[in-house]
Amino acid sequence: MSLPKISRVPASRLLSAVHDPRWPLRSAAPLAVPKRALTQSGYRRPGQPREDKPPWQRIKFDFSKGLEGITKHFKLLRQEFSDRLVGPEGKPIIEHMLEQNRVIWEFRGPDSLQEWTLSSDREIGGQSEIHLKLGKNNETCFLYGTLQSAPPRDGETRYSGYCSMRSKQPLVSFDRKKHHDWSSFNTLHLRIRGDGRPWMVNIAAESYFTHQKDDLYSYFLYTRGGPYWQDVKIPFSKFFLTHRGRIQDNQHPLWLDKVNTIGFTLGDKADGPFQLEIDFIGVCKDYAHTEDFAYEVYKRNPEV
Amino acid sequence: MNPYILTILLFAMGLGTTITFASSHWLLAWMGLEINTLAILPLMCQSHHPRAVEATIKYFLTQATAAAMLLFASITNAWITGQWNLEFMSYSLPTTLVTVALALKIGLAPLHAWMPEVLQGLDLTTGLILSTWQKLAPFYLLLQINPSNTSLLLILGLASTLVGGWGGLNQNQLRKILAYSSIAHLGWMILVLQFFPSLTLLTLLMYFVMTFSLFISFKVNNSTTINSLSMSWSKAPIISSMVPFILLSLGGLPPLSGFMPKWLILQELTKQSLAPLATLAALSALLSLYFYLRISYAMTLTMSPNILLNALPWRLPSNQHTLPLAITTSLTICLLPLTPAIITLLTL
Repeated sequence: MSLPKISRVPASRLLSAVHDPRWPLRSAAPLAVPKRALTQSGYRRPGQPREDKPPWQRIKFDFSKGLEGITKHFKLLRQEFSDRLVGPEGKPIIEHMLEQNRVIWEFRGPDSLQEWTLSSDREIGGQSEIHLKLGKNNETCFLYGTLQSAPPRDGETRYSGYCSMRSKQPLVSFDRKKHHDWSSFNTLHLRIRGDGRPWMVNIAAESYFTHQKDDLYSYFLYTRGGPYWQDVKIPFSKFFLTHRGRIQDNQHPLWLDKVNTIGFTLGDKADGPFQLEIDFIGVCKDYAHTEDFAYEVYKRNPEV
Repeated sequence: MNPYILTILLFAMGLGTTITFASSHWLLAWMGLEINTLAILPLMCQSHHPRAVEATIKYFLTQATAAAMLLFASITNAWITGQWNLEFMSYSLPTTLVTVALALKIGLAPLHAWMPEVLQGLDLTTGLILSTWQKLAPFYLLLQINPSNTSLLLILGLASTLVGGWGGLNQNQLRKILAYSSIAHLGWMILVLQFFPSLTLLTLLMYFVMTFSLFISFKVNNSTTINSLSMSWSKAPIISSMVPFILLSLGGLPPLSGFMPKWLILQELTKQSLAPLATLAALSALLSLYFYLRISYAMTLTMSPNILLNALPWRLPSNQHTLPLAITTSLTICLLPLTPAIITLLTL
């Protein structure tokens, strides 16, 4: 089966295309959800020249957009002040104390898709595709696409073939980061319907140092593939620390008071189409789960 | 941690504070503060969790900045006046700079931003040491210097009481609540510093006793959020019934001990014709009282929905050492009738 023709840089003119900025760098097929904004990924595809535009040419000035932005941010600020008068996170304290389940993301309209960012190895020159749309009756989200693990031929990349969906960082007024506070809960509850593929759930917590910005806490999500919905409950104590995909030796539990994003990644080296339908993503408190952390840390160089 | 290292670090912390207490030369005082800071840093990042390391770094940066400002101010004073003695700072610039440096060291508003984040990253015991022991040395220095700028201390004090009250209002993390409570109490201490320094010392010691009780109660329950406190009735029923008294004492309600410092401070401020300031400070104490009451509401006055399994821990004997908690809780609740004796003791 031949690969579909892709209207990007052909292999034979790779070298000339690298130095020729007139070739379109992005594929013609649009993604259903916009790619990550510049603020979220300052990634340069290997083999591509850097964009050397001065800052005043990179910014687009628009007066009406500016006014819209000002009104939007001041409205958010006023909302923050009034939420503070009600209670923590805008809810009365009794609600905060009694909460045992909370649905964080559910897909009930097109606006819910705007909270998610898709990415695949197309960014580094691979051929996987990923799309996100609403499922039937606007009740679920449908993540689908094709996985291709053929690595891009740029001389740098050796492995490829991944697709992922990541939630956007919640922001308050003036684009300040807001963190999810899940300290009252201890389990992640997902309702999904997959196609039998093994996915990875990645949670990104707030970090202080720049060398920790790629720290993710991951766990596996094995989907069944049947026509029936699957309720997956993963305790947060099971999440292990990874950095840029590599599991770390020094493990520590995920602290739930400052969670930034959650993401789902597929990279099981099985080329072909994939589908994942998500009904909701929530957190719940499992009273019977008392484990703090599932992994023991052994000394790597024990003195004998 | 290796017990030898732990011993050395604890001794070093004690040594740092003692050196500051024993000093009359600014350099020695600064040295004591630095030894104190450096000794607590390994204790803070013991657990190697990124949040603990973040808290340690933030603490180190703020304390180092404050110590540098202190050293700069004392060198400026030595340059102008020619002497290094602690008590003889007569020029306003070095004195103001020293006051601001010490305010940063202890976490007075508007230099308080590091306190909640640092306390949130630490475990409860280290947070207790940070809130209590680490305040002793800077307060000693604050008590020694003659404040040149009367309004600076009043502004710092009032801002701290207000920020401590407002900031803690919507927190559900106990360590952040304790941080804001610390800021508010430090504000009360600073308000009366220039008029009646013994009251500052009294407030500080009372605050130590009350905070110690509260931290250890939370440690016994192993809880760091308001929601997890709701199960304390099943772990230690007696502690759950005493904690509201500790919290009301922190809020400054009679007939508990916490009323003593607030009452005497308000009296002193009124004597100094600062009645509006006293009123504002008393009103800001109501804000703090609100979140103390919220903790006691979650812990003692209500029962959260739960399963039967979690209602049984009280049946098992506990190995926790609760004697210090018992002593400090008794002092927190019952010390008010001894007010005349305590005042006499402190003004000797």
